Amino acid sequence: MAEITTLALNGLAWGLIVALIALGLSVIFGLLDVINVAHGDFFMVGTVLAWVAVDATGSFAVALVLVPILGLLLGALTERIAIRPVLSTIVLTVVSTHGLGILMQEGVRATFGATPRRLVAPVGGTITLPGDVQYDVYRLVAAGAAALALLAFFAFQQRTRFGTWMRAVRHDRETATTLGIPVARVQLLTFSIGAGLALLGGVIAAPITTVDFRAGIEILPTCFMAVVVGGLGNLPGTAAAAVLLAVTEGVVSAFLDPSAARIVSLCLMCAVLFLRPHGLFAGARA
Amino acid sequence: MSAVLELDGVSRVFGGLRAVDGVTLTVGSGITALIGPNGAGKTTLFNLMSGLLPVSAGRIRFRGQDITGLSAHRRARLGMARTLQIKQVFAGLTVLDNAWIAARQRHRPLDPFRRASRDRVTRAAAEEALDAMGLLPLAAREAGSLAYGDVALLEIAMALATRPALLLLDEPVCGMSPAETERTVARIRAVSATTDVLIVEHDMDVVFGLADRVIVLAEGRVLADGPPAAIARNPQVREAYLGEEDAA
Repeated sequence: MAEITTLALNGLAWGLIVALIALGLSVIFGLLDVINVAHGDFFMVGTVLAWVAVDATGSFAVALVLVPILGLLLGALTERIAIRPVLSTIVLTVVSTHGLGILMQEGVRATFGATPRRLVAPVGGTITLPGDVQYDVYRLVAAGAAALALLAFFAFQQRTRFGTWMRAVRHDRETATTLGIPVARVQLLTFSIGAGLALLGGVIAAPITTVDFRAGIEILPTCFMAVVVGGLGNLPGTAAAAVLLAVTEGVVSAFLDPSAARIVSLCLMCAVLFLRPHGLFAGARA
Repeated sequence: MSAVLELDGVSRVFGGLRAVDGVTLTVGSGITALIGPNGAGKTTLFNLMSGLLPVSAGRIRFRGQDITGLSAHRRARLGMARTLQIKQVFAGLTVLDNAWIAARQRHRPLDPFRRASRDRVTRAAAEEALDAMGLLPLAAREAGSLAYGDVALLEIAMALATRPALLLLDEPVCGMSPAETERTVARIRAVSATTDVLIVEHDMDVVFGLADRVIVLAEGRVLADGPPAAIARNPQVREAYLGEEDAA
């Protein structure tokens, strides 16, 4: 029972981090219609920059503040250079972001190296949970930080004028323009926020995963699954689906090996697509 | 008559086609109608005015300010609101949310710590715009579930919620039933008491019943400009445009 609880909690913590990253993917898709194939690599860059920042300053807090800001800048730069010039032909954005992903992977391999590294958690030790479960404190901190970031994003989207703009542009770009909303600026900042969320996820995840130039390739399918199961462009649905998939995979891995647990997740996604083609949370207000 | 919008030698070329050819006109108070046969360049001219298309030549001034190089959203913020030929609203949101989004462009600065529901100024502006179009009873309905005529009125309400100085309406009664047309015309007439309106419309009964002034466009140029009665008597207009109606 203790093992199942631990794996379920692992799934919850990982699911909240994936939710953060998948949210970035979903917000970019929902607003720009861009399938950002490089999104996992933004996460990977986040883990690498976190490692570099901690290595240089010895402070995880510096990484937690600095890396998402760098993510916002990297996202803005990417939108201007790799997205906006091809935005009118959506299929080209897949090619463009795929090339960008390769650039980021090879750039990290050339500078950071190909050897996977580990980042020591800023908060060590374990805590005893009900049921005599010993659990890593940092994983709980990571889950809490990811949950806070998710809440902050939704509050930002619901309560700020920029959030209103994002919702309006997502529904209809031309109408938004006629109402005085600066659509191009909203698109730039949305891509920037999406990238920032991925890098923030990378910083939070770095101490509980390996820091490796291939990490983006591994996480991208999970993020896509969350976006599809949650409903394309449905942001709360994406976050909920990420948590649901990760917890399911965590619990199932108590009985089966991790590969079989992944197969169960994929079967779950297939079942959702079969029964609810527009996603598990289709119809829920984004 | 004071001009809120002035066009000076405005042209738009698509490849070898001169869709709008050196148009010089002013739009003043009341309701001005822009008419012309299909392909005359009316919607292109509307898009040039609102900034959805850049001009190939000429200057555009709005409330005395040169806006020729300004983007569409900046023109909207200066007080030029428009509706589109194909009616478009935020279908997944409620009627009130649609108007609220429009009203918020004017009323609410960036304020991340204020709850939207407590934003009384914006909400009042949204409700006022909906009321002007008779849509307040439908405020809680999802916009995508509205009847076509109500969608058209909601689009106008959204434009009104931005508190425009000039309202550009692109075929506002297109596709409506006679009852919906009558209701929409009455609402537009009421709006024109406080806001200048420029309307592109094919329904001649609507144009001549509503407009204070009619501008006729043909082959991208201004063919005639004057009061409805004078336009109706103009032989050139009858030949170029009204003749087609008679023949139909």
